[in-house]
Amino acid sequence: MDFLQTPAGTLISLLSLLLLLSTCSGLYEDQIKKFDWRSVHVGSLKHAYVDLNHFQPRVLLSTHEQVIGSLCPKTGEIIWRQVLEKKPRGDIKLLQVSGFADDSSDTAAAPMGSHLGFDMMTVQGHAPALVRGWNTNIGTIEWEWSIMPLNTERAQDAVWFYSNSILYHVVPAWRSHIEVTSYFATSGHTTGSTSKIMAAWINPESCLLSGSFYVCLDGKQLISLDLVAKSTQVIATSLSAEPRSKIHDLPGLSGVLIVDKKLVSVNKDQAVCPDLSSDSYIVGSFNSRKVIAYADLINNMLNINAVYLEDCSPVPELHLSVAFAEHYGAPTLRSFDCKSKRNSDGKNCLFLLSTSAESIVAVQQGRVRWTREESLANVIDTQFLDLPLADTEGTLENEMKGKAGDIATAFMRRITTQALQIKSLFLHVIGLGPPPTATQRAGLVRDSFGLHKMLVLLTRSGKIFGIDNIAGKHHWKLYLPNVAGFENSEQMRLIVQRSSKHFPLQPLCAIVAKSAENGNGVLFRFNPITGQASEGGLLQLNYKIKQLALLPETEEDYVKGILILDGANKVHVEPKHATPLAHGMYLYTADLKTAELEGYYVKYAGGELSALPIWNVRLGGHNSEQQIISVASKNPIEHVHSQGRVLGDRSVLYKYINPNLVAFVTQAPDATHKSVLNLYLIDVVSGSVIFSMTHRKVRAPLHIVHSENWLAYSYFNDKVRRTEITTIELYEGSAQANNSVWSSLQAPSMPLVERQSYIIPTIVEAMRETITERGITNKHVLIGTASGGIVEMPWHLLDPRRPISSTTQGREEGAIPYIPELPLPTENYINYNQTVARLRNIYTAPSGLESTCLVVATGLDIFVTRVAPSKTFDLLKEDFDYILISIVLVVLTSGSLIVRHLASRKLLKQAWK
Amino acid sequence: MHLKLSYLLIVLVSLFASGWSFLEHDSWINIDLHHALSATRPEHFSHRGNISIPSLNAGLSTVVQNPLTDSELESLKVLARQNGFYRLRATVTYPNGGSQRFLTSSKACSLLLAQFNDVLWVSLDPNGYVTGITTSQDPAPKISECTAENTQQINEKNFSSDVIIRHAELAPVPDTGSFIQKFEREREARERGEVRDNRGFFAKYWMYIVPVVLLVFISGATNQDAAK
Repeated sequence: MDFLQTPAGTLISLLSLLLLLSTCSGLYEDQIKKFDWRSVHVGSLKHAYVDLNHFQPRVLLSTHEQVIGSLCPKTGEIIWRQVLEKKPRGDIKLLQVSGFADDSSDTAAAPMGSHLGFDMMTVQGHAPALVRGWNTNIGTIEWEWSIMPLNTERAQDAVWFYSNSILYHVVPAWRSHIEVTSYFATSGHTTGSTSKIMAAWINPESCLLSGSFYVCLDGKQLISLDLVAKSTQVIATSLSAEPRSKIHDLPGLSGVLIVDKKLVSVNKDQAVCPDLSSDSYIVGSFNSRKVIAYADLINNMLNINAVYLEDCSPVPELHLSVAFAEHYGAPTLRSFDCKSKRNSDGKNCLFLLSTSAESIVAVQQGRVRWTREESLANVIDTQFLDLPLADTEGTLENEMKGKAGDIATAFMRRITTQALQIKSLFLHVIGLGPPPTATQRAGLVRDSFGLHKMLVLLTRSGKIFGIDNIAGKHHWKLYLPNVAGFENSEQMRLIVQRSSKHFPLQPLCAIVAKSAENGNGVLFRFNPITGQASEGGLLQLNYKIKQLALLPETEEDYVKGILILDGANKVHVEPKHATPLAHGMYLYTADLKTAELEGYYVKYAGGELSALPIWNVRLGGHNSEQQIISVASKNPIEHVHSQGRVLGDRSVLYKYINPNLVAFVTQAPDATHKSVLNLYLIDVVSGSVIFSMTHRKVRAPLHIVHSENWLAYSYFNDKVRRTEITTIELYEGSAQANNSVWSSLQAPSMPLVERQSYIIPTIVEAMRETITERGITNKHVLIGTASGGIVEMPWHLLDPRRPISSTTQGREEGAIPYIPELPLPTENYINYNQTVARLRNIYTAPSGLESTCLVVATGLDIFVTRVAPSKTFDLLKEDFDYILISIVLVVLTSGSLIVRHLASRKLLKQAWK
Repeated sequence: MHLKLSYLLIVLVSLFASGWSFLEHDSWINIDLHHALSATRPEHFSHRGNISIPSLNAGLSTVVQNPLTDSELESLKVLARQNGFYRLRATVTYPNGGSQRFLTSSKACSLLLAQFNDVLWVSLDPNGYVTGITTSQDPAPKISECTAENTQQINEKNFSSDVIIRHAELAPVPDTGSFIQKFEREREARERGEVRDNRGFFAKYWMYIVPVVLLVFISGATNQDAAK
């Protein structure tokens, strides 16, 4: 039998290898956009030009996300979009659309393009500065030239302006002089030598460029200089009072500034209307005359007015008043344009506004024509929430949950609920039933597989969205003004305090942020299904937040309290009634700059909470040259299904599953090795350094995932100039110390560490592991690449136990032989051609099905999909042939009956013979 | 004693393992230990002892520790009954005169039950600077709670500490060399045209033999039927 065993073993392992290799396969063509959707964004507005009189009406724009694009003025859809280089190289300094030049006498009537040599011109970056001409109809680049400044540091503050086919490069040398170089815009040839203008009065805090005027604020006066004028005479304009806020320029008018809501001109050739007072101004043209339009928000009504520039008389045709929803934030008027109506003699004007919540709002004919939610280009946290139960299921759930009393009461309860159900069914049939609730009308009812969820997105601007994860519909929006991320480059947090499981209690989410005004903590609690504030909504805390943790659920209302460590190392719990649950909690803090970690023990005694420092760790080296660049802990909702790994000899290698293990990565420049990257695995309850490892000649960008007993991280190898992934697995060994309860204070201190490195032939932008309800499904690592693709990488390929030489032991274990380069087959891209521009983060959440994991990838765009790492083993295929199987069943049953009958008849006949 | 041995083994193993993660410049450190024993005054630290490590690469250490006084033992027992933390402050002094302060804690109860036998883990970063010091005890065999009865008979006052130094290890790099070698070997073998197959006759040709044998069996069975 021995001779048969080996080939059979080989065959089995080969088969299993094949199976492993084919675990993920791409989508079929008809499944495109069936389980996924993508929303495309441009980012918050920087420059915008509305142009309705072109043969193809459009809105040309550039954004703070280094994107230029063109929108359709009717719908706000993107006609084209170009995502330019990242900052600082792609930072857009100037967007010049021909026909909107300052000196053209009539903006609207000016012909487009041709004679100036460009439709649209951009200037980006500072070293090198790239000047590009664009075709605005299709968004292609037409020409490009660049300059490399001699002094790159000084060039950071450089500003550009365009006048009469000449592009001026203005480099300020603070408190000394200004260097102005002029170039022919389309060719990049200089028109002469660089002129140096002595100006000892310039400083980085209060200077700006307004058209061709360089203006600085000095106490109660404005000092300015016309950079295109022959004489370099300094003009001083005195103000009535020292301005309270920063001064701004008014695009379109050279030498005109907005000082404390009023217009001030330093250009003697340019008169302004000094009596106007408004939050935002814009220059445009109407009836071939220049007008100043201004917009103000009064009692949630947006009022737009306009005056002719030459005589300050109002333009009644442009007056507009429109209801403005609160979640847009404070508006700023950016551009407008008018077009003659086709049938009548009136004019039709479109006003474009940007808001503090990073929305783009288009107002036309007294109503909001369209809006774009550009804050979604900066999503910082997401949560998937179960939808509420339908009413009938809810009552059933209630009954199941009810404290089991004696049989009689349970029976009575059952009878009454059923009677109620019959009654409601009857009422429903005759059309007298209760009207469906708002959420039910919106289709927000839980499905049987838990795939339909509410996706709550928190954005950097403080705007929160409730989005349907299947349809992509925005169900609600909220805006929190005056909030910001924390120190230590820590973002705002979105926390689920109560999930949807506790019917009839509503789910509860909280946003923890820092107040932009005083730096204290801010807590905002809301219902994630309806988007309404609950539990009092906004709560201003009177302390700074240093660290926070979630407590277990309370008995009475199932709320998970938030444990907060404040700046003075005092602990607080919000809501207050959850305070006793904080007893025995451990907290840790990590300072990124000094790379110091501190651990605290929280004690609740005598009605007071206190935090006792119990450990500290210094990862900074001797002179704290090391800085923490990444902290990775495990997902708290993760379940580990399999406690060990079966080896070739049928023994079990137990996983080291420490829920308190956190990975810290530090980086520092090094004298001998250029750059050194250190990885530390630290138990944050006991403070012990479980494992540390160092990489030489390796640097950020670093992306890390930490799950179960493994972690994987990608980095850039400076020596061989490629991206690599190192994976680590931790094992306790062949025996488990304590299989029921984990205690960090009495833990096996030295796990076995398996490690391996792989080459990945792409640039990694984000990594995340898949997560499922019970953890039975295989884990895959989702790798976001720089090109915007998301690759699903099975853990088998990243496994550090992949054997280098193909031994039988490795094969028995099911490990694939080691190949240094990781494959990236195109069918493993879960977003096929739906690339996510500037991919920044991937979030995963379990669905109700064990096989399926919900994924949202965020960056400039948002992509929402679901993945099934071990295929949908618990779900019938959607093209499953129900008819065929029922026909087969019926035929088989009837056939067997007939045959039985025939057989009995035959037996009877035989018996008679 | 058995545990002591196992720790020695770990030390040896870690020494062996750190063979490829030695510090480039060996140096010495000195660790001064203070501990907080009072439940009421958590910020009061008293001197416990001193550890000097003459060579970080060798990992051997000299430990000098003061025995506890009667009152200190009593306050530790009080701390243990309250399930409080025994906190240890370690001040590390480097050859260049710099010093850093570390804090570590363990449950006072487990220290008491372990009869003051503890292990100090000193973790080093790749340049030989200490990242953290952790004290741990062997889990107490049966008793896990420190009641007044449990702690009464403990009279041990001398600390007995093992010091284990843990070096940072060097991370692996993608092993392209051996993979290319393996690939080359396979290519050469293919070029020579003789992929040496040292499997047995049956192992090689079982897929042909099995159907033939089956056929023979089946035909034999039918023949038997026919013969009947």
